[in-house]
Amino acid sequence: MFNKQVGLIHAVDGVSFSINKGETFGLVGESGCGKTTTARAILYIDPPTSGKINFEGKDIVSIFKSKNKEEKLKLRRKIQYVFQNPYASLDPRMTVSDIIIEPLIIHKLVPKKFCYQRLYELLKLVGLEEYHAERYPHEFSGGQRQRICIARALAVEPTLLIADEPVASLDVSVRAQILNLLTELQQKFKTTFLYISHDLSTVRHICHRVAVMYMGRIVEVAKTEDLFEEPLHPYTKALISSIPIPDPLAKKTRIILTGEVPSPINPPVGCRFEARCTYDKDQNCVKNVPKLVDVGNGHFVACEKTKK
Amino acid sequence: MVKKILKIENLKTYFYTWAGIVKAVDGVNIDVNEGETLGLVGESGSGKSVTALSIIRIVPSPGKIVEGKIIYKGENLVEKKEKTLQDIRGKEIAYIFQDPATSLNPVFTIANQLVEVILRHQKISKKEALEKAIELFRLVEIPDPEIKIWNYPHQLSGGMKQRMAIARALASQPNLLIADEPTTNLDVTIQAQILELMKNLKKKLGMSMILITHDMGVVADTADRITVLYAGRVCETADTKTIFYNPKHPYTQALLTAVPSLALKTEKLNVIPGSIPNLIKPPKGCRFHPRCEYAQQICTKKIPELTEIEPGHKVACLRATEINLKSPLGGSNN
Amino acid sequence: MSRYIIRRLLYLIPLFLGILIIVFAATRIAGDPVRLMTALNPHISEQSRINLAHYYGLDQPIYTQFFMYLSQMMAGDLGNSYAIRGGIEVTTLIGDYIGPTMQLQILAMSLALAIAIPVGIISAKKRYSKLDMTVTTTSLLGTCIPVFYMGIIAIIVFSYILGWFPPGSYITQISDTRNYFLGNPTLDILWHMAVPTGVLTFAILAPIVLLVRSSMLEVLKQDYILAARASGLSERVVIYKHALRNALIPVVTYAGIYFGGMLAGAPITETVFNWPGLGRLFVQATTKLDFPVIMGITVVITIMTLIANLITDITYGYIDPRIRME
Repeated sequence: MFNKQVGLIHAVDGVSFSINKGETFGLVGESGCGKTTTARAILYIDPPTSGKINFEGKDIVSIFKSKNKEEKLKLRRKIQYVFQNPYASLDPRMTVSDIIIEPLIIHKLVPKKFCYQRLYELLKLVGLEEYHAERYPHEFSGGQRQRICIARALAVEPTLLIADEPVASLDVSVRAQILNLLTELQQKFKTTFLYISHDLSTVRHICHRVAVMYMGRIVEVAKTEDLFEEPLHPYTKALISSIPIPDPLAKKTRIILTGEVPSPINPPVGCRFEARCTYDKDQNCVKNVPKLVDVGNGHFVACEKTKK
Repeated sequence: MVKKILKIENLKTYFYTWAGIVKAVDGVNIDVNEGETLGLVGESGSGKSVTALSIIRIVPSPGKIVEGKIIYKGENLVEKKEKTLQDIRGKEIAYIFQDPATSLNPVFTIANQLVEVILRHQKISKKEALEKAIELFRLVEIPDPEIKIWNYPHQLSGGMKQRMAIARALASQPNLLIADEPTTNLDVTIQAQILELMKNLKKKLGMSMILITHDMGVVADTADRITVLYAGRVCETADTKTIFYNPKHPYTQALLTAVPSLALKTEKLNVIPGSIPNLIKPPKGCRFHPRCEYAQQICTKKIPELTEIEPGHKVACLRATEINLKSPLGGSNN
Repeated sequence: MSRYIIRRLLYLIPLFLGILIIVFAATRIAGDPVRLMTALNPHISEQSRINLAHYYGLDQPIYTQFFMYLSQMMAGDLGNSYAIRGGIEVTTLIGDYIGPTMQLQILAMSLALAIAIPVGIISAKKRYSKLDMTVTTTSLLGTCIPVFYMGIIAIIVFSYILGWFPPGSYITQISDTRNYFLGNPTLDILWHMAVPTGVLTFAILAPIVLLVRSSMLEVLKQDYILAARASGLSERVVIYKHALRNALIPVVTYAGIYFGGMLAGAPITETVFNWPGLGRLFVQATTKLDFPVIMGITVVITIMTLIANLITDITYGYIDPRIRME
């Protein structure tokens, strides 16, 4: 049965975090920070080099390394993925009904004669109509395609849904529709969400807890309100302050970071953010890898200079 | 009276495709005052990029300007010959594209591409041009310009590429800079750097600027005035504060409330139903009416004209004065 | 760039050896060379066969034979023909025949590239115009019709009906200088080359035109082309500097593959035009089961193909810095 703790991940470079059952957990960071790699490790698309991924009390890595086909298939069903680009993640030669029914048959979830009934249920759930079933992906707009992707993922009743930038390629007016849909579905099915994004404003909108990644490491984890109200890590602070606020009269205390993300081939030895950090740095920052420390109230931060 | 550097009147740019005529820009009116930054806001298919490409007349085939005037410093660019336009492009009006990864030619060094543009508009020697290129690199704050200039585009990061693209645009000190989503493909911290840089450069060089974006956050901080486009037409034009605090067009208001923002934590986002219309067969009357919660019978028939409802504030909505829109930022605090 | 070339060169060595092994094995699988050599002589004794086998080293184990062949090859000896010109050295034979082949192929390829690239560009620039339609239709025809068919039609039209050009062969056979075309042997060769070169050029050119056109259309859609236009660069610079270099990448691939395969395609063309080149020699050797010659030509073809590949790679590296830096 379900543990309180759904996943424990050591991926990318010593990344650890846990997601609670039924929550939406946000993984935030800029391009190349390792957030997608982390997700792909959970799905075992890119097997992790070392570490454990605990899912419902079992280690995903050892299941996938074993020859237990049944268990593997079960995992493939329980963890579902919604991709960033709904244009590329739907087979253009399959109708919507084929796309959604296929996983039902593979995982033998519904007897064949009830497939269509389930299909219509799913379409309704994501805000599409029955007559959409026999259409092809190119006949839909970006937002509708993302709805199809979500329906396909939900078809197999996953316990963990990983959504990797699900709204990044959509128009602003359509984004709200998909974000609202995700929130609704989450409340309805109590599915656990791992929401991956570079867009802090959407993260704030739908996540319960958030982890911030920088160069393959987690620098801060906290409840969403805490993270946005009181960010502790200098990178999180800069990240939040960089987001343009849609209010011309808003007070701007923007922290502009100098330089760019260092090359991941030769990462800094100690704190990876050290070179761009706005704090008073010392030798300790250069040499030692900061540990993710609990500063109270479930707020973790990996910075030697941040003591609460 | 503020001087207008650019005045676009009733611009229509259509694309003649096999599937039909795409009316990408269909009667757009835009003014840019000297020295200001105009934010051109819209979603994909709003016609903002096509409008911008029309200004310097480089709309790719099968697109054509079918009607309208583009008056730059008193001269109508629509009537100009290609040769004259080539002298204006890059020298008078410069352009920055959305994706720095694709707007630089991958097979030439940056020095090659920069020097070429400098020599195109200035009568100097190659050596002087190279010095000037390095100078430009300093201006856009690229470290080690003497080394970086010999790189190929793929050897630079996204942020550096966009700086390089800005350097190329500024090569001949243009009077008007058109920046088409210059930071959309960049990370937020890099976006902040580039926006800051552009603001400073604009001040330093005294240019006017058109900033095209879909991001209300970006324009809030950078634009003096804003024009909102939807499906090839202008919805609303006003100064930035008015657009945010006193929007009169339902689409402008919807854009403000549909976007999750850090400043406002709402339980549920306001949704604009439906999606962007097909521009081969756009909706009759007001193009926003199928998605508008205030639409009435008349909106499906009559095309709303862009009318000035208060000085400097123009709206194209038949019901602009009847409906009472509320900005998510609170009421007008004029 | 030099490191890139060296890497490419080193990579060729195992490739070359691999191909040699396969070809060598294939010729041996085809049957006992001694029996093939003596097939036309039913009276030969078993002892003579053994003597022959011993003479050619065919009684040695196959790997010894291979190494012998290899070491001889290194010394520039490809063995002797079994059947042509009384057992002439294969190297001499190839030396005699390679010239005409290279003349024909290189001239045709150069002409094809020189015509196809500008035509393809103009066609792309004026997409859907009458000119473009004509160019694409003609090119499609050229791609569809096989070379030998085109060759026969050309001979019928230009030699038999119009009588402008000779129907084949390399040079007027009579050694009296007055019989040469305009009394000059070089002009005479060119006169003989005209029809085969024309046909071959058209055959090579047709797919390249289509390729240049489509890759140009693709490149012209790119942002950097818009950006070049937006900087005020003239249309000529935009097309011939910015677009062309990028559009040439697939063309280089095609030309490279063609050049590699050109000798393999030569037998048909050369037979149709009775052209004394490697291709026709290959056909002759095959019908006589002359393995040393077949093997020799294969070695030459392999080397040519590898050189063509190398040139393609170097050209790639020159055109596209991203490949060079990898």
